Amino acid sequence: MNDLILPLYKNGFLSPEANFFFAIVLGFAFGFVLERTGFTRSQYIADTFYFKNLAVPKIMGVTIITATTWFIFFAWMGWIDLGALFTPGTYVWPYVVGGLLFGFGMVMAGYCPGTAVAGLGTGKSDALLFLLGLFAGMFLYFILYPMIAGFASSGNLGVFKLQDLFGGNEYTSYILTVALETGIILFLMLLQKLTNKGEK
Amino acid sequence: MEKKYWNPYFGGVVLGTMLFLSFVIASQGFGASGTFSRATAQFLVDSDKSWLNNAYIAHYFRHGDNALLNWTVIETIGIFLGGFASALLAGRFMIRPDKAKGYSTLKRLFWALIGGMIIAFATRLTRGCTSGQGLDGMATFSVGAWIFMFSTFAAALIFSPLFRKQWVDENEGGDE
Repeated sequence: MNDLILPLYKNGFLSPEANFFFAIVLGFAFGFVLERTGFTRSQYIADTFYFKNLAVPKIMGVTIITATTWFIFFAWMGWIDLGALFTPGTYVWPYVVGGLLFGFGMVMAGYCPGTAVAGLGTGKSDALLFLLGLFAGMFLYFILYPMIAGFASSGNLGVFKLQDLFGGNEYTSYILTVALETGIILFLMLLQKLTNKGEK
Repeated sequence: MEKKYWNPYFGGVVLGTMLFLSFVIASQGFGASGTFSRATAQFLVDSDKSWLNNAYIAHYFRHGDNALLNWTVIETIGIFLGGFASALLAGRFMIRPDKAKGYSTLKRLFWALIGGMIIAFATRLTRGCTSGQGLDGMATFSVGAWIFMFSTFAAALIFSPLFRKQWVDENEGGDE
């Protein structure tokens, strides 16, 4: 697998400095697209939870379908080592509890960290307060960490992928991912129709 | 007159291709929450070295004394600049809070602050936010990312009635 060129950084084709240059470029593109798609507006994001506008789950779903389609095509052509891509580990219980807290904070604040950074760039004052809150929340976590360190690393499955849970390989995980994302978008559109609250 | 936002499906194809490029070039995807955790840790350590006794803070300083020399931190600066440039070009740059019409600005800013605190805490448990955990994890077939996304959307839907006034313009277009 050592003759694979991609990803560039892991395989030694990029210096750390060059990688930092791409960090700025890719971040810029990310922030630009977040603004173009409406993700820099907290009300636009929160509309999701009242079934008024499903742009957020549609964009997220299509983003995953698009990215994984590129991955699978490049892997099939033998151009990329998918195993070298950084994948967050799976910690079951912290993710359940953290996710619930995150969702509560999200419908309260209307932002997540990335969209608030781009939102601050567009002049949103609520994004500024959200980002100040982030610093305070991080501080709180550091203080409480000695007490919750055990819970924070509970249910540790390491890097745990769909093919580890359901069997199969990267190709079956890809099909499952596309099916799940498509299913979720269609299901939400159906719910939107049934609740009859949406504009379209 | 403001420009319209991109079609969501088109936006998803562009964003997904950029996420792919990020992985292909840097071996990792997008992120944001880590930047604020690192900045807070750096600030504390700079003001008092004894903060290094905190195990969580210490893990950022294993490879050097600058927690901010990090790919995600640099990328986050780019996110800010990209949002700024796009809003400027689209004629959407304006200093204002975003909320339902008639909702108190002070209340809106308060909930944004408290929500930010809760989300920061949550991202430490989940090792990332909707970008670094949600998008990056789902794109690399991680089971954990799905657990996180389902919990997040479930909680947001469950608690949504509490914040309805803040977000929904009730008198608009015969809603309700």
